[in-house]
Amino acid sequence: MGRLIEEIYVWRLPVRLYHWINAFSIAALMITGLYIASPVLNPPHGEAVWRHNFAMWRYVHFGVAFIFTGNFLYRLYYALFSDDRYARFGGFRPWSPKWWGKPFKEQVASYLFLRKDEPNYVGHNPVAALAHFIFIFCGSTFMIVTGLAMFAENRPGGFLDAAFGWVLPLFGSSYNLHYAHHIVAWIFPFYLIVHLYAVFRHDIVDRTSVTSSIITGYKHKVEDEAAA
Amino acid sequence: MPDKQTYAEVFQSRGLSRRDFLKFCSLTSVSLGLAPSLLPKVVHAMETKPRTPVIWLHGLECTCCTESFIRSSHPIVADVIMNMISLDYDDTLSAAAGHQLEEVRRKIMKEYKGQYILAVEGNVPTKDDGVYCMVGGDSFLNVVKETAADAAAVIAWGACASFGCVQNADPNPTGAQPIDKIISGKPIVKVPGCPPIAEVMTGVITYVHTFGKLPELDRLGRPKAFYSTRIHDKCYRRAFYDAGMFVRGFDEESAKKGWCLYKMGCKGPTTYNSCSKIQWNAGTSFPIGSGHPCIGCSEPNFWDKGPFYTRLADVSFLGTDTNADKIGVVAVGAAAAGAAAHAAVTAMKKKHHDEASEK
Repeated sequence: MGRLIEEIYVWRLPVRLYHWINAFSIAALMITGLYIASPVLNPPHGEAVWRHNFAMWRYVHFGVAFIFTGNFLYRLYYALFSDDRYARFGGFRPWSPKWWGKPFKEQVASYLFLRKDEPNYVGHNPVAALAHFIFIFCGSTFMIVTGLAMFAENRPGGFLDAAFGWVLPLFGSSYNLHYAHHIVAWIFPFYLIVHLYAVFRHDIVDRTSVTSSIITGYKHKVEDEAAA
Repeated sequence: MPDKQTYAEVFQSRGLSRRDFLKFCSLTSVSLGLAPSLLPKVVHAMETKPRTPVIWLHGLECTCCTESFIRSSHPIVADVIMNMISLDYDDTLSAAAGHQLEEVRRKIMKEYKGQYILAVEGNVPTKDDGVYCMVGGDSFLNVVKETAADAAAVIAWGACASFGCVQNADPNPTGAQPIDKIISGKPIVKVPGCPPIAEVMTGVITYVHTFGKLPELDRLGRPKAFYSTRIHDKCYRRAFYDAGMFVRGFDEESAKKGWCLYKMGCKGPTTYNSCSKIQWNAGTSFPIGSGHPCIGCSEPNFWDKGPFYTRLADVSFLGTDTNADKIGVVAVGAAAAGAAAHAAVTAMKKKHHDEASEK
């Protein structure tokens, strides 16, 4: 077993807090969302006017959606304006060909077993950064914008309608909007699997305690066994 | 009958009292969502403005819009509206036919240049120079373009003229296009529905006549007065929706009890129309009222969102029976399989590495 060389404080409290609020929000949104699309539970007894079973599912979905949105904006602010080198957008420049250069290619090659060694990063590796950008940044933005546009449908002429009403004609119809929101939601369980797998694998292969780092904030640098 | 009668004169000539006339005016302004203060304006316009000439064209369609229109809730009101607007050309309702009728159309176009309203029912096949719909020896494509050139405004009746309806559903063999894809530079009001509600149709015409302009339109070009809320928002079965009491089959007790049709594929939550408000046939009922889910007939491309009785439409290019959830489950399954395969290779590589380092 390799010796512990160093403890590095990677994920500061705002990042960890964001991560877990985000994780629980997505879980709640996915479950309530699927239920709203397909309410499978048995109907309640009694008069409909006194029951709010289905309305509660929707209420939770919308409530959590606003927490999710707030949390997302908070993380965005932190990424843009904090001096946290592991949480900033600073190094992520997919528009520059340089960013797709050696580090990115090495990481891809490593994931495809085309390299023997594993490149080691304290923060996110370039492939992880790209995946987070596509699934978490773009995916969340899409879900938030389409979600708010649908929420705006409840109050035509209201503030949200004025702000997000343009989304509906963009998709052609309200039905298309709902459909797009529904199908894109599946990227989250998809990404959850990829994310968890990547984390567990890195933890086992690199032994950096990346799994516990999102709770404690610390990643470990471990002495390489071969060198020991 | 004199050439340019006002609404009030039409009422009078039909032996209706002024009281009836005022009742009609207030009913119309209420249904248009106008403030009470605007009622005198409506009355004034009805009394003084000559009837608006309307040319009503029929393209690729089923005439259900006309069928709906002539059943406008109050028979006398329908009759009056027909007389008020001076429906000078309508191939299905006119007594004249053939060249005689085409002559009338040209005459109106010349006499009321820039003043008449063009009402189009049905859409325009554009493939092969529009041969799939010929009217009076010319393609409907040319007729629409020619008639629209001097029109003051264009009313697109029904789902066909507004969004395309069944004719331009996939694969759209005749290249059918809604009116706004054919005509540009004219104010167009879309009155979707298959067919639209009769009172909505008469309401739109009354508004145009009264104010000399199109009513306030929403982002998809539909009059806000009738299309600003979803059927779901004013559905009388909404309480069952919120309670989670859903019909699960047409042969069930729940269907008999009139529970929410959400699970039967009701498109009410995504359909903008006044069916749950104005209802049909003089307020008799509407589809949900008679126990059938809304199929969303006033929404763009509703034919391609099938099947009607499921919530999630099929993704057509992947074949029937493929919907959003199935794609999602397959994608998540693929991710899990990919992760497992990657893990296996990683383990093998590690074993290989360990063996190599032991040597």
